[in-house]
Amino acid sequence: MDIQMKRGLLDVCVLAAIKDEPSYGYKIIKDVKPFVEVSESTLYPILRRLETAGHLTVSTAEHNGRLRKYYTITPSGVKRIEAFKDEWKEIMQIYKFVAREESRSDET
Amino acid sequence: MTKLEFIEALKKGLQGIPQVDIDRSVEFYSEMIDDRTEDGLSEEEAVKAVGSVDDAVNNILKEIPLPKIVKEKVRPKRGLSAWEIVLIILGFPLWFPLLAAFFSVILAVVVALWSVIVSLYAVDLSLLLAGVGCIFGSVITFIFGSMPLGLVMLAAGLILGGLAVLFFLLFNVITKGFLWLHKQFFLVLKRSIIGKGSAK
Repeated sequence: MDIQMKRGLLDVCVLAAIKDEPSYGYKIIKDVKPFVEVSESTLYPILRRLETAGHLTVSTAEHNGRLRKYYTITPSGVKRIEAFKDEWKEIMQIYKFVAREESRSDET
Repeated sequence: MTKLEFIEALKKGLQGIPQVDIDRSVEFYSEMIDDRTEDGLSEEEAVKAVGSVDDAVNNILKEIPLPKIVKEKVRPKRGLSAWEIVLIILGFPLWFPLLAAFFSVILAVVVALWSVIVSLYAVDLSLLLAGVGCIFGSVITFIFGSMPLGLVMLAAGLILGGLAVLFFLLFNVITKGFLWLHKQFFLVLKRSIIGKGSAK
């Protein structure tokens, strides 16, 4: 996949992983990994970027005697997901058109 | 590699960027390793699973803007004494041109990279225009002039158009390469500013 495209997709995937409830780094990786390849070294800059952009907030909570960071989505983060969905509706329309052309040419 | 060794290597690799950024990334990686050990991995396996220190350092550096790194580098670690301030003011004619030259060189490299890309597409556009022009010209020559000359022009137009398409594909690949180079240039620059030598 195109690097630029993957980068944009990962941002939205991370937001989607914290959409329903606040989550932490390791859980985000586990949730996103089945769909897009993501590692610690790529996740960290993404979280920083999303925080700077105001799409999420970071809070610290105790877990098993140590501190863990939890990431919570903000209204602007939710908006980002909505914008992504709208954008992809259009892309899916195009995809349908392209796929239909292909299946037709397969028949002949 | 133990968790402690990983964290120490990370700290060392990030030396030169603002301390808050170092602390935050150390917290992040140490939490990641702890979460994995809690999940049942041994310490060694957990460290291995979070990837290499080099990847971590490179990805963190890519996100930090160049001016922030430069600022951190030149920021004095303690208060300046009066004579140091006087020296800095007196030395202005010396250090300012040097600093300006430094940024000019960076700008020059970036502009050079981009102008190659622009010129490539300019070549492609001119091929396309020439091709279209030839085809139009051939029609006019067919009508008002000689048949053979019109044919030659038509052929030339088609060849130029074909070349334009082929070059367009080729230039797209080259542009991708240049964008990669652009990123790599900044990474190497940032690494050299914080004194970590060239990126592997």
